[in-house]
Amino acid sequence: MPAEKKTETESRVVLVKRTNPRADPERSEYLFEELRELARAAGYVPVGQLTQTRFPDSRYQLGKGKIEELAELVKQRRAGKVIFYNRLSTIQLFNISEICGCQVIDKFQLILEIFAKRATTRRSKLQVELARLRYEIPRARAIVSLVKKEERAGFMGLGDYEDAYEQDLKKRITRIEEELESAGKDDESLRAFRHRKGFSLVALAGYTNAGKSTLFNAIVDESVEAQNMLFTTLVPTTRALDLGGRKALLTDTVGFIEELPHWLVDAFKSTLDEIFLSDLILLVVDVSERPDIILQKLSTSHDTLWDRIQGVPVITVLNKIDLLEESELEAVMEEIGYMAPNPVFVSAKKKIGMQELKAEITKHLPAWSFYSFSLPNSEKGMSILSWLYDEGIVHRVEYGEQISVDYEAREDIINRIKSLELGPDE
Amino acid sequence: MWDIIAVDISGRHRIEGGYYMVCAAAALTVSADHIEKVKQVKILPVWLKRAPGLLDVVQLIEDTANQLSFEGTIVAEKGDMYNQPLWVPESMFSRPFKYQESMAERRAIELAHHISLSARNLLIKELNIEA
Repeated sequence: MPAEKKTETESRVVLVKRTNPRADPERSEYLFEELRELARAAGYVPVGQLTQTRFPDSRYQLGKGKIEELAELVKQRRAGKVIFYNRLSTIQLFNISEICGCQVIDKFQLILEIFAKRATTRRSKLQVELARLRYEIPRARAIVSLVKKEERAGFMGLGDYEDAYEQDLKKRITRIEEELESAGKDDESLRAFRHRKGFSLVALAGYTNAGKSTLFNAIVDESVEAQNMLFTTLVPTTRALDLGGRKALLTDTVGFIEELPHWLVDAFKSTLDEIFLSDLILLVVDVSERPDIILQKLSTSHDTLWDRIQGVPVITVLNKIDLLEESELEAVMEEIGYMAPNPVFVSAKKKIGMQELKAEITKHLPAWSFYSFSLPNSEKGMSILSWLYDEGIVHRVEYGEQISVDYEAREDIINRIKSLELGPDE
Repeated sequence: MWDIIAVDISGRHRIEGGYYMVCAAAALTVSADHIEKVKQVKILPVWLKRAPGLLDVVQLIEDTANQLSFEGTIVAEKGDMYNQPLWVPESMFSRPFKYQESMAERRAIELAHHISLSARNLLIKELNIEA
């Protein structure tokens, strides 16, 4: 469901955030800036903002007086929508929109809007729809109750509509889950096929807007869409990665964001599986940001990855080093080192550090074995040699009465060579 | 490599007669994404008649960690500290304290959780405590 073009009023939004007392003001400002970025990524123009430091009010999230101030601001700035950083309950959404006289959404609905806008494939559209329905379920009953408040119960009332609405949502969720599950099975078999063909799977992961797509383009010489915007990548893109003989496939994936709710992560499970089921993860970080922000983003990434990736090695790719002096970089590493496994420094934009990164990738790929053996110098031997070139790295080949080969490949390929009863070169 | 003490408390729910809590503290050396070495593990059970507050939890963790002959930062889950901002428990501990951040720290907490839970289950069975 691509986002339609917004009218001028529709695109004007007021951003709102409630902050807990004693929260770090710098961090609060940073999170508010992230909300601004998200709004821009969805095609909105922020025309006003409002914050309040207090514990949440159950009816309005902010205090009632502040909501009235918000309504005034909406009117004054001719805004068509209010976007809250904080998660809003159905009651709060209803109450605030009643007072402000315009649509009110929270950060999670905003993320869903962005995802919907970026969804180009059938699968990503289904994932967005699934996330939206899962978000809707707990609210379904409350929405109907609110609508029914004005209705008379019993004859000509809404009757069983409440249950019917919820049942309908559940049915649609089941249908989409089934469809995504069968697509997931296709993915599994594709991954298995790629593994069988000797490809190692490498995935790019990291916080949204860390430069994953730019790095992807730099390292595989591609031109996938990369923008200075949150959630540019929604559909995973996979390309072959040349590692000097070792065959690998690199996949660019959707970024992480703080407090991403589990229902959203679950909905995008098949996309995120590209990361979780890879042989190696490149965790991309924008090293030009403030160390405390880098740490927060790394923490979010680690939180998303830690219990899903088993023993998969992680390389931390510290991107945008062209924006820092060497001494600054050392200072940053001093602070973030404990969160950055296997660090590699690159600038994707300037293509600095690509060889070092490839060397680090090769170092962490599943181990290959060396084997020296001889082949008969015949048509059969030549066809085996041709297959060997496809499956691994031929380090040396000498043609004599027999063909002597020094070879490096995956364990199962070496075992197949041995099963051909080709004795090792003594 | 960094030295940490991963802690976890099991049993903060009410049972017959009060609260039977078991705290586990694991002394570990970690890298950014792996537990590199498990040095020591200690557990400490405690009975409370009333619901535990933040001070009780901090005290129990300190007492358990003090049984270890190991210097390291105490690492806990935010939920164990009633989701208080870091500065609140940090100011109560006599040792360095932090919430889990890295993959290794999260795995360490998971290890401590399995230890505290299985130790509590065993103690409840052996001591015939009505759970």
